[in-house]
Order: sequence, then C-alpha cells, then structure tokens
Amino acid sequence: MLPIVLVALIKVGLVIGGLMTAAAYLVLGERWIAAWIQDRKGPNRVGIPLTKIRLFGLGQPLADGVKFLFKAEYTPAHVDKGLYFFAPMTIFITAIAVFAVIPFGSFLPSDIFPASWGVHEPINLVIAPGVDVGMIFVFAMGSIAVYGVVLGGWASNSKYSFLGGLRSSAQLIGYELPLGLGILGVVLSSGSLRLDAIMEHQAQTGAWNAFVQPLGMIVFCVASFAEASRLPFDLPEAEQELIGGYHTEYFGIKLMMYLVGEYLHMVAAAFLIVMLFFGGWHFWGLTGSGNIVTWGEAILRIVVLNVKVLGMVFFFMVARWSWARFRYDQLMSLAWLVMLPMGMVNLAYVAIWEEYGGDWARSAGFSPQIAMTLCGWAVFSVTWYVATKMSPSQGDNRPRRQSRESNIRPGFEAEK
Amino acid sequence: MKTDDARIRWVESPKLGMLGKSYLTLFIKGLTTTLGHLFFHKKVTLESPEQRHKVLDPVNYRGVHRLNKDEQGRVKCVACFLCATACPAHCIDIVAEPSPWPDREKYPKVFNIDELRCIFCGMCEQACPVEAIELTSFYDLTGASREEMIFDKEKLLSVFDQTKEREPMPSKRANDAAQDRLKTCPTSGDSS
Amino acid sequence: MPKITIDGREIELPDGQRMNVIEAAKLSGVEIPHYCYHPGLPVVGSCRMCLIETGNCDAKTGEIKMQPKLVPGCTVPATDGLVIVTANEKVRQARAMVEEDLLLRHPVDCPICDKAGECTLQDYYFKYGQASRRTDVMPFTSRKRDLGDVNLFIDRCVLCSRCVRFCAEVSGTAELMIANRGAHEEIDVVPDFPLHNELSGNVVDLCPVGALADKDFLYQQRVWFMRRHRSVCTDCSVGCSIWVEENQDQIYRLKPRENPHVNKWWICNQGRYGYHHVHDANRLAVPRVRKDGKTVDLSWNGLPEELKSKLFTAGHLGGVFSPFISVEEAYLLAKLLRSIDPQAVLAMGPMPRVGEDQKFPGGFVITAEKVPNRRGIEEILGYFMHKVLSFEDFLQEMQRIEFGGVWVSGGYKGPWIEDSAARRFEKIPLLIVQDLFPSSLSERATYQLPAAAFSEREGSYMNRDDRLQTANMAVRPPWGVRAEGSLFWQMLGRKGLYNSRTVLDDLSREVLYFAPAAGPLPDTGLDMKINKLAEVGALTAKTA
Ligand code: SF4
Ligand code: SF4
Ligand code: FES
Repeated sequence: MLPIVLVALIKVGLVIGGLMTAAAYLVLGERWIAAWIQDRKGPNRVGIPLTKIRLFGLGQPLADGVKFLFKAEYTPAHVDKGLYFFAPMTIFITAIAVFAVIPFGSFLPSDIFPASWGVHEPINLVIAPGVDVGMIFVFAMGSIAVYGVVLGGWASNSKYSFLGGLRSSAQLIGYELPLGLGILGVVLSSGSLRLDAIMEHQAQTGAWNAFVQPLGMIVFCVASFAEASRLPFDLPEAEQELIGGYHTEYFGIKLMMYLVGEYLHMVAAAFLIVMLFFGGWHFWGLTGSGNIVTWGEAILRIVVLNVKVLGMVFFFMVARWSWARFRYDQLMSLAWLVMLPMGMVNLAYVAIWEEYGGDWARSAGFSPQIAMTLCGWAVFSVTWYVATKMSPSQGDNRPRRQSRESNIRPGFEAEK
Repeated sequence: MKTDDARIRWVESPKLGMLGKSYLTLFIKGLTTTLGHLFFHKKVTLESPEQRHKVLDPVNYRGVHRLNKDEQGRVKCVACFLCATACPAHCIDIVAEPSPWPDREKYPKVFNIDELRCIFCGMCEQACPVEAIELTSFYDLTGASREEMIFDKEKLLSVFDQTKEREPMPSKRANDAAQDRLKTCPTSGDSS
Repeated sequence: MPKITIDGREIELPDGQRMNVIEAAKLSGVEIPHYCYHPGLPVVGSCRMCLIETGNCDAKTGEIKMQPKLVPGCTVPATDGLVIVTANEKVRQARAMVEEDLLLRHPVDCPICDKAGECTLQDYYFKYGQASRRTDVMPFTSRKRDLGDVNLFIDRCVLCSRCVRFCAEVSGTAELMIANRGAHEEIDVVPDFPLHNELSGNVVDLCPVGALADKDFLYQQRVWFMRRHRSVCTDCSVGCSIWVEENQDQIYRLKPRENPHVNKWWICNQGRYGYHHVHDANRLAVPRVRKDGKTVDLSWNGLPEELKSKLFTAGHLGGVFSPFISVEEAYLLAKLLRSIDPQAVLAMGPMPRVGEDQKFPGGFVITAEKVPNRRGIEEILGYFMHKVLSFEDFLQEMQRIEFGGVWVSGGYKGPWIEDSAARRFEKIPLLIVQDLFPSSLSERATYQLPAAAFSEREGSYMNRDDRLQTANMAVRPPWGVRAEGSLFWQMLGRKGLYNSRTVLDDLSREVLYFAPAAGPLPDTGLDMKINKLAEVGALTAKTA
C-alpha cells in the first residue's frame, strides 16, 4: 500500500510542479517566439536577481510571478463576491485536474524500488493509472471549464465581461461537438478510452492515427485550438479588437489563475493531439511497444513524448501570428457547417472500416495499415473538396441569403 | 444615408477560387511568413540604453521643451498664454506678472509644463509669437515621481543652456544663413 | 410708427423711442461698427468708424435721394423715411481706412494685452480691415501710465473719449481729460488729481481697446479661458446684474451685465472687486462640532440626519435669517424649522449699513444698506410669522423665551456680530451657526457649518425695489463646503439635487406674494411690486 501512495504522491508533485514551471516558461517562450516572428529580440534582460548576469532573460517568469503577487488586490464593489472568487478557481482547478489521466511518459521498470518492497509491476507514468473512462474524464473537466468562463462574466457584473462570457461560452460549447467527433474515430479504432491504451495501439500497428484518419486529426486540431481559445480562434479575449472578455474585471492573482488555466488548456490540448494522433511516446524503431520496458526505452519514450508535445506547443504559438482571427460568424459557421459534418464523415468512415475494411484488405492481400491510410486520405480529399466547393466564394459579412441570391444591388440597377 | 442611394457604388470583395476557398493557400502563406521571419530575418530591436537612437535632425525633432533666453539672459517668454491656448493636452500652466524690466511689460512668474501630459505635438512652438518656447531633441525623459516630470521655468531654461549650441533658435539660424549667403554670393561686379 | 430702410430692407421701429441709426440697425440685426458711441454716454461722433450712406425716401413719390457724403451713423436719428446703406463698397472702404488709421501707431501687442479676445479693434480689423498692414510694425510694447484706479497703456488708445465722457457725465467726477493736440493727443489726469471714484472700474469696460486696464485683473488670465455666469451683485441692496467670470473654479473678475431696470451698464467698484472673499483662505472649510469644550472636525456624511435629530429633541426653536441667503434658501430653512417646531421663532439677521445712499449724476445709486436680499427675507418671514422680527427683536425674545435650539445663518462678507450680542447666545444648548468666516458667534456654536459664497450657490434675491433676480452658480464651493440650499433640501427629505427653480415654483404656489415668480424669470429680473396690487385686489375681492 505505502509504495503505491508514495508513487502517486510523487507523480502528483511532479506533474503539478512541472506544469507550473512549464506554464511559466512557456509564457517566456511564447514571448520570445512572438518577438522573433516580429523581428524583435524579446525579453532578454532579467537574469539572476541582484547580479548583472542576464541568462538570455530566463529570470523573466520569476519576475512576472512576483509582479503578479504584489499587485494591488482588491475586489470591485459591484461584483458578486462569491462567484467572483469561485470562477477563476474553477478554470484553474479543472485545467490541472485534466492531467490526472494524461500520461507524461509510458512506464518505468519496476526495479526502481528495492525488491523487498514487493512491487513487481512496472510503474505507469500517469497520476491515475488504469482509469477506464480517461477520455470521458478529460471531457468532463473541459466542460466544467465553461462554467469558469460564464461565471466570470456573470460575477463581474459588467456588461463587457458579461458579453465576453456569452461570446466565449457559445464558442466553447460549439466546438465541443467536433472535438468529441474527432476523438470517437480514434476510440473506435483502438477500442479503448484510456490514453495509454490508445498510444499502445498506435505503437503496435506503427500507424499513427494522423495518417490513417487525417480528417479526424484536422477536426480535432481545429476544435482544440478553439477550445483552448488560441488564435485564430481567440474570440473570448481578442485583445486587439474587443474589450478583454470575461476576465475584464479581474487582475492580480485571480487574473493569473485565468491566464495559467488557459495555458494549461493549451498544454493539455497539445498532449491530447500528440497522444491521439501522433503516436504519443512511439517512434519507429526507437521505443518499441508493450509495457515491459528497459530503462533506456523508458527514458526514450518520455523524451519522445515531450519533444512531440513541445513541437505541438510551438505550432500553437506560431499559429498565433500566422493566421488572422476569424470573425465571430465565420467561427460559428466553421464549427456547425464544416467541422461537425467532417467529424461525422470521419466517424462513419472509421466505423465502416473497422467493420469490413480490415478483413477486406487482408483477404485482398494488402497490409491493412497501408490500405487504411490510402483510404483515409481519399476520404479526406473528397470531403475537403466538397467542403471547399460548398463554401461561399465571398468573405463579406452580408447576410447569407442575400449574398447567395444575386450580385445586383439596388444601386447598380439605378445606374443602368 | 440610405443603402439604395443611387450614388453609392457597391464594391464586391474579390471572389475566391477553389484553392483560396480550401484555406490551403492561406495556411501555407501564413506559416511560411512567420517561419521565415522566425529563422531568417535580421532583428530590428535597438537595445536602449546601451545603443542610442540617432536623431537625424535635432532642429526638427520634437522632444523635451526649452524656454529660450534673449541676449541678456532673460526669459524670452512674454507670458501671452498662446502656447497654453494652443496646447491640445492642456499641459502648460503659466502665471503672468508685470515684468521687472523697463523694456518689457509682462513675463511669466511661473511657467510649468507637465511633460507627462504633453503629447509632443509642437503646437506650442508654432503658437509662440516671440519664439520663446521650442522643442529640443532630448527624448529620453525619466523621473522618479510625477511631480518631477512637471518642468518649471528654471528647468526649462536650463534645457536651453544645454541645447543652444546644437539647436540654435530659428532667428539665429536665419541670421547665420543670411550671413553665409552674403559671404558666398558674388559681388555685382563679378557677374558680368 | 417710423419706417426706415436698411440695406434695402424696410423695418418698423417702435413708437415713441428716440434712437440713432446704430441702435435701429441693431434692432434689425445689422451691425454698424462703432468705437466712440455708447448708449449710456453722450454722442460725440469722433471715431468715424460708423460711417454709412444715408438718404431720404419721399413719402409721396417714393423717390429716394441719397446724400453725397458718408455720415456717422451715431449722430443720425432714425426718423421716418430714412434710407441707409451699410454694405456697399464706399462704406467698406471708409471702414478699412479708419481701421488702418487707428493701427498706424498702435503697438499691436495683442499677445500681452489683457483685452485681446474681447477687443473691438481686433474684431473690427478682422471683419472690416485690410488683409495686410501697410505700415511698419511698431515696437512690441506700449507706454504705461498709472491713472489712479486703473492703468493706461497710452499707445493702445484709439481716443474714442468714452472714459472721459463717463467721468464727466456718469460719475460726475471728471478726472480724465484729453491732453495735447492732434496726433499727440493722450488721455491723462491733472497731476495730483488721480482717477479715483466709486465707479472708476467702469472705464475699463467702456474702453473698446486695451488702453485702460484693470489693476485687479492685470495679467491674471486671458479672457478666452474664462466662462461667464449670470449673477447678481450682493454688495448692496441695489442688486446690480453682473457676470461672474471664472476659470476652473477661480473667479477672475466681475463685470456689469446690462440691465435697464437696475444698473444700466455700470457697477460700482465695491461690487466689482467684491469677490475676493470667495477665495479667502480664512473661510470656514469643514463642519465642526463642539464636544466637551473641544471642537472636532466632522464630515458631511450623515451630518444632515444628525442635525435633524438633534433639532427634533431640542425643544423650542429659533432661526436667524441672514439677508445674504437667497429667497429659496430662506423658504426652505423656514419650512425646515417650522416642520420640526411649528412655533419656531424666525427673525432677520443684522442689517449692516455703511454711510448714506450715494447718487451719481448719471443716475447710478449705491445704497448704504449692504445686503442683497432684505426684501426677500422680509416677505418669507412675513408669510411664516405674520410679522418681521429684526435681529434686535430676536435678542429681546431670547430674554423672554427659553430656546432649545437656534439656527443662525450668516454668510456675511465681513464681521457682522458684536461680542456682546454673541455672548447672549451662549446659554443656548443647540446653536447651529452657518457662516463664511469664523466669528465670535461661530466660536460659541455647537455646530459650525461652512456656508457658500454668493458665487457658489444658485438662488434669487429681491432688491430694495422688489425686483427678483436669479443668480446662477458660477464656481463650485471649496471641498468641505455645502451650499445652504442643498443642505436644507436634503434635511427636508427631498429627493434628487437641489434646484432653485423647483423651490421657486413651490414658493410661488404657496406664498401669494411670490405668485408671479412661477415660470422662468427674465434675465433682467421680475418686478414684484405689481404683485402688491394683485394682493390688494385679492383681499378686497374676499371681503366684498
Ligand atoms: S508639444 Fe503640444 S502637447 Fe506638448 S506642450 Fe506643446 S502644445 Fe502642449
Ligand atoms: S506662446 Fe511663447 S511668449 Fe506666449 S506664453 Fe507661451 S512661451 Fe510665452
Ligand atoms: S461711433 Fe460714430 S463716430 Fe464713433
């Protein structure tokens, strides 16, 4: 019993400590990347306090944290006190809780403990190992985060916050459907809701889901960008164009909770994308498969997983400066008119393949992985083509019906 | 204005082709732009205070104000309030007084400019009828308090002492230019 | 009804009024520029700015005969059949020439001239002058001469002689004269007889340019920064109409406001410079309470309620009404005291008098009674008490009646109560004194409330001739001071912000005397004497 508790506590400590540090340094990383993309140098001054050593600005997160802590902490008179405190906590806590079922590696060999302790199983590198409803837990937590947004907007008792809250919750709820549809395909093909099982499945077949289900990957990626409120879907905040959004009335440590929560959402999204579609810890010829690992493999798996996640986070950050923000109506129609049908097509395709495809390929003498990959790309291309064909050829914001009807405007007629 | 007014021409946004509608071109363009800047472009940041911004034309630069002095070292300002009137930021505060000098009638007892409020538009310089107030090329103002950033008459006059060599007053510039022209222009006899 | 034609437009003039062409043109909206003409002064026709073309229309044939030469409009009486032209080339050229002549030796030191911004020389030059000046610019300075009460900037003067005529005709003191001849003419005084009289400030207003400068206002502020507010002078019972000119809650000067019924175009020096007490540093600035022999500063938070509850338990109440508070405030205070104690004794405050009434040759009067609102308070007290108790009467009453609480409203500009009188208030358990400056009475007060000065409140005053005039608020009271009106308003439990107009409406409904004050008052005030007749009429109607 004791070793299990000890192991669990160590894992909790590692994950929370790691996440907090990561969030702090990711902020710095984001600022650097933003600066470099804009041909600036970025934060490069703060180093070791009280010395002149600059360390490329690595001390910045510490300075930022201290600044947040020392900000004046007061509560606006007009807010709903209870909810005002509760809302940021909701976001923060759920964002951390998600990581209970997200593995941060694969397994560690059991010989880390002295034999006398009686632990003979390899140690699963996830806080709550063996939770069969893993993905559902992730979803549940993600949905509770919407409450943080709505409550924050409501509790602030200000019209801007309130509108911001409504705006964001519509977006978050809207994109939960494609998110779920994107996952369903993966769950269907690997037959489990557990993330470690899904990764294991990809490792065994060697075909990452991104290759066999490109449509699902796209749908899931887009939806998780939106769920994490990252550009080009950052309508909840949209700091250049709108007043802050649901956290307009927040500052100091409570605002930091919101911001860190959002960062953790992004990290969680990166983890999920990597694990569901990019093989998690798997890399061909390096990491092997199965849960009996050597120390070398175990460490390689952790490294591979984290490199992939960092790569994904990097993509998140670069995306911020690459594409313009969607307009709100475009955002909504993208969710309901494009991503939702695409997700459904993907689901149908995976379901059909699972039922008949594998047998057919084997009987026809193909490798089922290669056949499914080809088939998946074919489905992807056709769906994409259809979606392209059906989307409007003008991006203006006239009401849909009017722009479809004709190009003749009253003024043109008068001119003739 | 009515939308069906005959004088309005409706301009349609350009139509997208299949490639554009598929979002692929945008995707690639955006990504290549950012990645290109990320890896291949020179940084433009100027690392102040180690590196200094170069003021190309100190005379035209709109930095910290100065109050000019006349030949006898007295403040040139006649306290007409025209700069305060022109100032869009309402940052000039003058208290006038009859002057102690026989040849002048009015002069500023107090002349404060709130440099924090100032937007450095240069309207005060334009408004002044006696070229008493000018903007210099000092651009990095720092202070430990707001009060410190309200420049009083003495401070503004001392800015003049620091900058008068580098940035002479317009009348002096015009005078010097005329002198130069006199020197270089050929005498009438030579022109034949 | 005389008919004249101005620039081809026929207008009818009111019957039985003698006016010159400048005034007639003004009636029809045509401006004829002028310097030396002033409606309050005799006409001299010396500046020639008002040159116009005139002619006559034959009433029978309708034929128009124009005069060959231009004539000064100020000297031409508007008679029937007159035809004048102000907008042709000849007139335009004449005006431009006058402007050029006036500017020949003018220093054009507008940047340092206090008149700039309201100077007719500036305005007319922009409107009627030439595009550019053909003469050299004079040195940027003007010779200055101390005339006594005012300064003269000699070179700016356009010799319109308004100031000279004012001193000769209106103040009757004739200190000013024009010295020298021809191009050397200057305004001057006889040595040892400086310009020094009760009305001397008016010459500054009269001066159409910046030649005469107020010593009090000299270089204090540029005129375009100031906003002006309609007000009433509170320095004597004449109640002259004035403008209060202010910038950012600082009063810079008072100016006469034209009112044909009261002060015409003038005000006296005492009124003109009688605003300095508003910005006096000695003013009471916070409410204070005396507890156990010590005075403690209070905040206004909850103070009105506290005062009210104290008054409720005080017993028999008395009120002293200063003649410096407005009619509305007096009414609210009377209401307040009477609503707490229906038997409250209300009396008039002391009535300072200085010297004798002064009457000037021009008809201007300065009264000895140095308060603005005796008549208004009398009417209010008369309504509530059916008789008017003077301050002396009230002191008598105090011997007779045991007062539990007395409310004294002060607001006098100077010392107003003798020590002996103040000592008689000592034994009153609840003495509330509302005053501008500390006095021997406010030291004895249980509650000491800072009062607002005349420019910090809105309200109406009734002058000695029963003319009710409304003064607007010009500046905000200093921090910690609450105007009487808004305090009484809140203590009476009324909602919203104090509004003198609403109170006056209530008053006109409740008190018969003030009935005509319903509806907006004209800027020049309302003569309430007419109302006396109505009152008598109502009484006779009742008895009949
Ligand atoms: S530069 Fe512009 S804002 Fe600044 S003092 Fe002059 S007029 Fe005012
Ligand atoms: S405009 Fe020139 S002369 Fe006038 S107050 Fe300003 S600085 Fe002085
Ligand atoms: S106003 Fe008529 S001559 Fe001066």
